[in-house]
Amino acid sequence: MPCFSLTSLLLVAEEAAAAAETAESTGLLNMDRLPLLGVAVFFVVAVVFWISVARSGGEINVREIAGLKAIEEAVGRATEMGRSVLFVPGIQDVSEIQTIAGITVLSKVAKTAAEYDAKVEVPVARTLVMVTARETVQEAFLAAGRPDAYNEDLIYYVTDEQFGYVAYLSGMMVREKPAACIYMGCFYAESLILAETGNSIGAIQVAGTAMPAQLPFFVAACDYTLIGEEFYAASAYLSESPAELGSLKGQDLAKVLAFGLIGLGALLATATQFVPSLQGAFDFFTGTLLG
Amino acid sequence: MTIDPNSINVILATDCGSTTTKSVFIERQPDGTFRQTQRGEAPTTVEEPFADVTIGVINAVTEIGEVAGRKLVDEDGRIIQPAGTDADGNPVGCDIYISTSSAGGGLQMMVGGVVKQMTAESAKRAALGAGAIVMDTIAANDGRKPHEQIQRIRELRPDMILLSGGTDGGDEKKVTEIAERIAPARPQPRFGSKFVMPVIFAGNKDARGSVDNAFDESIDLQCVDNLRPTLEEENLGPARDAIHDMFLEHVMAQAPGYDKLMGWTSAPIMPTPGAVGNILTTIAERQGKNALAVDIGGATTDVFSVFDGVFNRTVSANLGMSYSISNVVAEAGLDNVLRWVHLEGMDERELRNRVKNKMIRPTTIPQSREALVFEQAVAREALRLAYVQHKEFATTLKGVQQQRTVGDTFSQKTSGTTIVDAMKLDLLVASGGVLSHAPRMSQTALMLVDAFEPEGFTTLAKDSIFMMPHLGVLASVHPQASEQVFTRDCLVVLGTCVAAAGDVKWGKPAFSWEMRGSQNAEGDLLGGQLKLVELTPGETATVTVKPARGIDLGAGPGNPVAHEVTGGSVGLILDARGRPIALPESRDEARDVVEGWYRELNIIDEGDA
Repeated sequence: MPCFSLTSLLLVAEEAAAAAETAESTGLLNMDRLPLLGVAVFFVVAVVFWISVARSGGEINVREIAGLKAIEEAVGRATEMGRSVLFVPGIQDVSEIQTIAGITVLSKVAKTAAEYDAKVEVPVARTLVMVTARETVQEAFLAAGRPDAYNEDLIYYVTDEQFGYVAYLSGMMVREKPAACIYMGCFYAESLILAETGNSIGAIQVAGTAMPAQLPFFVAACDYTLIGEEFYAASAYLSESPAELGSLKGQDLAKVLAFGLIGLGALLATATQFVPSLQGAFDFFTGTLLG
Repeated sequence: MTIDPNSINVILATDCGSTTTKSVFIERQPDGTFRQTQRGEAPTTVEEPFADVTIGVINAVTEIGEVAGRKLVDEDGRIIQPAGTDADGNPVGCDIYISTSSAGGGLQMMVGGVVKQMTAESAKRAALGAGAIVMDTIAANDGRKPHEQIQRIRELRPDMILLSGGTDGGDEKKVTEIAERIAPARPQPRFGSKFVMPVIFAGNKDARGSVDNAFDESIDLQCVDNLRPTLEEENLGPARDAIHDMFLEHVMAQAPGYDKLMGWTSAPIMPTPGAVGNILTTIAERQGKNALAVDIGGATTDVFSVFDGVFNRTVSANLGMSYSISNVVAEAGLDNVLRWVHLEGMDERELRNRVKNKMIRPTTIPQSREALVFEQAVAREALRLAYVQHKEFATTLKGVQQQRTVGDTFSQKTSGTTIVDAMKLDLLVASGGVLSHAPRMSQTALMLVDAFEPEGFTTLAKDSIFMMPHLGVLASVHPQASEQVFTRDCLVVLGTCVAAAGDVKWGKPAFSWEMRGSQNAEGDLLGGQLKLVELTPGETATVTVKPARGIDLGAGPGNPVAHEVTGGSVGLILDARGRPIALPESRDEARDVVEGWYRELNIIDEGDA
């Protein structure tokens, strides 16, 4: 099961714990929060249902993600130009979900590079990320039938310091001119520095992050960008495993429900301005249903 | 050889096909224009017992000479050049003689590149554009192990190999590795034991030395400019020219009688498909049009297109109307073929039987109405599939850096998208037996519309006697004459198709139309309807269409558009069936709908079922 699903389940568990705490203080169940339980149950049932549908051979369509499709193109470009592919998994540790999502994409990049006999270089800012990345790339080369081509020296630790790391990457990009730069993970101020440097050396750039503040920089300076949820969906898209696809579909349904509730809330809030008698319904909606 | 176009009055052209050598005769008319006046044909004689292609050429030319009352062949069996008069004052000879050839299977090539979707694809495009059949594509990422690639090269018997790979200053290692796989494979040529395998290297210029070192004297290596000097640029010209040169020097020189034939021609002999591409490109350039031509044969279907000046050609090797018919039905599916059959009683079993019968007797032609309907249904699917393959191949370059703005956040288009745009298509040309020899012109027109689904305004035409190859090679000598004969004699204009794309709802208003000019008419069309309006050859009119909301006829959804259209043997076809054309799911309903379309276009008569 993908990490983002785990997070969601943790959140549900947290809610359940809060409910249990309330139950402990006031009784078996806090009936005021019952609608929230309904939402949680809906989410769990949706995920389980779609996983079972996927496992029984039902078709779950995930729309094409341009950034992931472009990975082959980026690696192909590096191969034709006789240069390397630079992969940057963000500046956070493996405890950060975005880093793990980035490592999932690294697996795809490494497998493609193994098939094309291209070189993938992964400088990292955290030692644990280095270990994880090495294992991932090694597995990918093995899966591609090219274990001999794996070189662990290409995945190395630089520094924990944010701008020390960025300075190294920028210098390396200018000196070695990789043909493709792929940024997948959690980024802060360094996003624009990296993307602009990559653009200036004529590299194909693919970025993916869930940091809303950095997305505009990546979109403007990179060739392809995985935006927020797309980045998390990459795992399901790449693996095509029924559990991940079903989980993705279930979460999408939960999001549709959330959008519906937001819309309904907005309508109610507007309506109460004209029909004061709806205030009770609005209070129930905001106070009870949304907790 | 440089020829002054003003001194050319009489042109003789031949196309040496695998079975038939076709000749055409073109003369300058008193008004100064060029017209095709005579044609002749004779069996090709490249195989034993004759083993001399010029015998068939002389036979075909003699036939023309007899009809034209002009002596074209002298007592020594040579074509008389230049044109003049004999002692009795009778006209003799021609000013130029030109020829194309696809005899003996045409030009068969193998291509190689580093990345299949990049340099290898460019190499394939260069080879196909030069008129070759691409037997296989070798690439570093083609999924085959080196020994499998060597085995494959060994099995093939190409006429020549085109090798590309690496941008200039880019990869050297992998392109050299591919050369090192070709060398030990020692590919054997089809013709002559003394034949030295020509290899054209159009890759990284820095790798020329290492590629040269990989080959010994059994390979004749010629290095030309890189097909992809950078990944943002594709330079096919030098490689195509080299293919033509090698074709003449190596392949043609080995084929029986071609050394003699080459001595007769005023311009280099071209591979037949290359010549077709040449005329299409010339016409598209001179008239500023986007054009698409199709040639459907027994075993293969060739599709040629020129969009925004970019020429592409594909050969669908297993889509044809005789030897490949079984494959067409297998690929398209029985349901897709049957949807075009309006006759009751023609079910899957009947279709299967007819397919297998055609496989047993591939060269038979339809003798009954049922056989004709069935064959035209299969042709629609063969053309549709060939068009799909063409669209997949005719793409923008892959591996190219994109320029983005924040506005692209939710619409990031990838490179490698097709350049074939049905809405931008101006001219659609048909050739090949099932299209050229359909009993009614409207059958050819509807087969084209159903298979290619043109959108907006598109002129439909067919190549009357498959003269495009002759005109293609003529275009290299006298483009003006070539264009004049192409538009006046080669093309039979079927009419113009005005088709709606977008959100067409069956039974709901699709667009209203108004025609003013040689003929005046107007009306409204509902979604799913097809209408034929009379507009005879030579007539022109301005057609104004006002589409319903969400429907596009060339000026964007819901926007009216006016366009000048030309008439033809069929007329003006107004198509409100939407794109892609979808039929009702019920077989009976679909049959009724298709029958209605056929009646509207006079494909079947009132009394026919």
